[in-house]
Amino acid sequence: MIKQILISDPTLRDGNHACAHQLNAEQIAIYAEAADKAGVPIVEVGHGNGLGASSLQVGLSKEDDKTILETARKHLNKSKLGIHVIPGFATIKRDLVNAIDIGVDVIRVASHCTEADITQRHLGYVRERGKEAYGVLMMSHMASASVLVEEAQKMELYGAEGIIIMDSAGAYLPSDVQEKISALVNGLKVPVGFHAHNNLGMAIANSIMAIESGAKILDGTARGFGAGAGNAQLEVLVAVLEKMGYVTGIDLYKILDASDIAEKEIMSIVPTIKSDSIVSGLSGVFSGFAKHVTRISNEYEVDPRDVYRELGKRKIVGGQEDMIIEVVMDLIRNRK
Amino acid sequence: MKKLRVAILGSGNIGTDLLIKIQRSEFLECVLFIGRNLSSPGMAKAIAMGVKVSDESINAIVKNSDLVDLVFDATSAKDAKNHWDILDKLGKIVVDMTPAKLGIFCIPAVNLEEVIEHRNINMITCGGQASIPIAYVIGKTQKNVEYIEVVSSIASRSAGPATRLNLDEYVDTTENGIKHFSNVPRTKAILNLNPADPCIDMQTTIFAQVENPDMGYLEKEIDIMIKKIQNYVPGYSLLVPPVFENGRIVIMVKAQGLGDYLPKYAGNLDIINCAAIAVAEQYSKNFNNIK
Amino acid sequence: MSLAKNKIVFEDCRASCVEIESFSILDNQSILITGGTGFIGKWLAEMISFINSVSDVNIKLYLLGRDITKFKEEVPHLAEKNFINFIEQDIRYVHDLPSDINYIIHAAGSPDNREHVSDPLKTIETFYKGTQSLLDVASRIQNLKKIIHLSSHQVYGRNETEELISENYFGSFEALNVANCYAESKRIAETLCSYYKNNLRLPIVILRPFAFIGPYQDIEKPWAINSFIRDAILGGPIRILGNGLTERSYLYASDMAYSILRSLIVGKVGEIYNLGSNKPISLNELAFKIQGQSTVKMEILSKSSKENYLSISKLVPDTDKITKDLNVREIFTIDEAINRTILWNQLNKKVK
Repeated sequence: MIKQILISDPTLRDGNHACAHQLNAEQIAIYAEAADKAGVPIVEVGHGNGLGASSLQVGLSKEDDKTILETARKHLNKSKLGIHVIPGFATIKRDLVNAIDIGVDVIRVASHCTEADITQRHLGYVRERGKEAYGVLMMSHMASASVLVEEAQKMELYGAEGIIIMDSAGAYLPSDVQEKISALVNGLKVPVGFHAHNNLGMAIANSIMAIESGAKILDGTARGFGAGAGNAQLEVLVAVLEKMGYVTGIDLYKILDASDIAEKEIMSIVPTIKSDSIVSGLSGVFSGFAKHVTRISNEYEVDPRDVYRELGKRKIVGGQEDMIIEVVMDLIRNRK
Repeated sequence: MKKLRVAILGSGNIGTDLLIKIQRSEFLECVLFIGRNLSSPGMAKAIAMGVKVSDESINAIVKNSDLVDLVFDATSAKDAKNHWDILDKLGKIVVDMTPAKLGIFCIPAVNLEEVIEHRNINMITCGGQASIPIAYVIGKTQKNVEYIEVVSSIASRSAGPATRLNLDEYVDTTENGIKHFSNVPRTKAILNLNPADPCIDMQTTIFAQVENPDMGYLEKEIDIMIKKIQNYVPGYSLLVPPVFENGRIVIMVKAQGLGDYLPKYAGNLDIINCAAIAVAEQYSKNFNNIK
Repeated sequence: MSLAKNKIVFEDCRASCVEIESFSILDNQSILITGGTGFIGKWLAEMISFINSVSDVNIKLYLLGRDITKFKEEVPHLAEKNFINFIEQDIRYVHDLPSDINYIIHAAGSPDNREHVSDPLKTIETFYKGTQSLLDVASRIQNLKKIIHLSSHQVYGRNETEELISENYFGSFEALNVANCYAESKRIAETLCSYYKNNLRLPIVILRPFAFIGPYQDIEKPWAINSFIRDAILGGPIRILGNGLTERSYLYASDMAYSILRSLIVGKVGEIYNLGSNKPISLNELAFKIQGQSTVKMEILSKSSKENYLSISKLVPDTDKITKDLNVREIFTIDEAINRTILWNQLNKKVK
């Protein structure tokens, strides 16, 4: 029996976290074209926090949503165009209507892992337009397997045709992935997916564990270009899956070429696991915070590792970048 | 002095918390607490407090029109529209807690004097009550403000099903409110729900993009504004005073609830109620010629 | 367009309404329908409108719902009828009703799972408090002849057999399913019915609806057949979510309306009847049929968390009892049902 895995490639979305959301139209065009040639099923683009998220809070995008989407649309023929949408950032009227009008095929509606009911209206709208709707539970390490199943069931009832859990902090070990993915596969009707981060060097291992536990959708990015320590490295993932006998529909040589192009054309730095990233992963902090923590810690001369520890202790969720400033201010105050 | 006679339409969390706050007011008297179901917890509370209750919705006011001067509408946007058709004809003042956007936007610390010339006052949103006064000060003290953004984080447990279903309306209304009061052309509102246990207090960050900020003037005016707000929202405080960081002004405020009907973490519900009461009290003061 | 659309519904009523003369017993009687503005309410109103217009019978209707304005916008041709009266109220807070009511059909409450999981308390209140409030008022109505309580097939829990579900089946429940609030509150509502029947002698008949399809059913509802039809109208692909071998059955809307009205006149008090089609169809077959009826070519995609399922979910009623006691049968085949539904929705879309 053929084991088919659906790959979604958010190099041009999660990667935006790695460059302070500065990917330009030309870079988007170049990589979209390369990924399309390689046969990547879904190419996800946008600001790091998705549609409508360009902000002082998270970072202003180099290009607006319209430019990003139109550029990617123009350069994708076979690949589907995907976006990430977080209610609270993106509204239907202001953002989603336009995105679908431009020609987005796949919409992944995301919430913090315990807040699935904020996705009802957005998922409903995507279905109404007849597009592919997925549910995404972010920062999934912060909820138990049973809570994840409940929240995922809600998204399934809202009309999601697949549920992806994100290890947004890169905090999982393979055993965590096994527990959570198995529970979801068991508790849901629709396919389950996994999105890895590499803070603890587990991105590929965790992705494979997800597949072995029954997941059918994986996210991976060229060279792992993504928030913090980066994501599962797509070209490695494709190679490993191929070796294990899974089918992705992606041409290995061409995705290797695409990742070489990506390194040359869109990355100022290739993501590595920096010392701070390890502490971030251990503390369970949203990977997208990395750039902000580095900058603000430098500016106010505090140890970024202390900042990560404190953010983790306060259970700060994605989207709460403003808390970094408050934590830094508190650290300074307590030092005095 | 004669207390202003108010009625509360809607016996949910907002309505019941308003009721308790009104009991403390020197200027207001709740003459009627109205819902649709006499067995709801809010109704039970009102009955226990000896307040006259009714389960006849808007008809209760039609029947008792002579007894009521002002109505707090704490139902839903859809119902508020129907209610206003009736209350307008009856000549009542309405303080609208829903996002129906029928009347003038009100932030007591900014336009209290102006709004009491009107008969339908809209309290915008909870995040708006926390952030708009600060946005207003930024607009007032800084030249060429290009963009203002406000981010609120609230405890998951303080966001009920209606809030969750209507996040888009929250974002839309808050953005309009900021535009209206700050005169800044581009605005953005973001809302985060945080499930941390123990529950977080409502926290709001206001960002502004300004070329050459006048931080001294800003700090002075922010202090004045915070004190003004604290007059009617005791749990409101400045968490991080204005800093200029990475090309943006950053100010953080926090709103802790009074813990009346709802727990203290529900500062988001508390602040909009405190603001609504400040409005009603101002009417009362005016009628009694109290400065 | 609007005329063509209404004609479909009218003709369907004619086809389903086999024993029209049996309704002469309802002449000059008043029927209250709670949930009167929903899918079932609209169809009952259509069927009664048909009976009133083609026979000498004059039946008066009270439609109780939360949003009458919306009903008037959606079905102006019904809203303008003289025999229809509106009561705008939330079923949870009902305390008085017109005293001339002779029959009640209790169809209030949404079966939409999305609402159940987003606001479980409201779901529980609607079925529990709403049913209690209604039956309380009903017990004070002088000339009340019968109450039809519309329960749900979900009260059966999981079907662990391959058999059709008969009225005395009792399956298991998953303790942790987020959507349980619906099934559980429907069960307590049945228990309430049983109390009001035994202690207060209210003439209650319980119907347990399975799945229906037809005009007026919102194709945005996240159920398999609705989604398939919606996908097909939008040009595909048709997406099967979960196990394609899952078996369901679908009773066409006008057949449903006719059965409910029959239960009003010949349903035996204290009895429970399954209301649905007894012809199983798998989701795969269903998608294939809908694909076959589309004018454009489209794919069928299967999306499922698992390759192999331990058991196949089969929720199809045994309808022997209702067939025998009420003398009703399915007039519309599944193919006809799909065809009519697609046609009506295409006309409806153009009207918008």
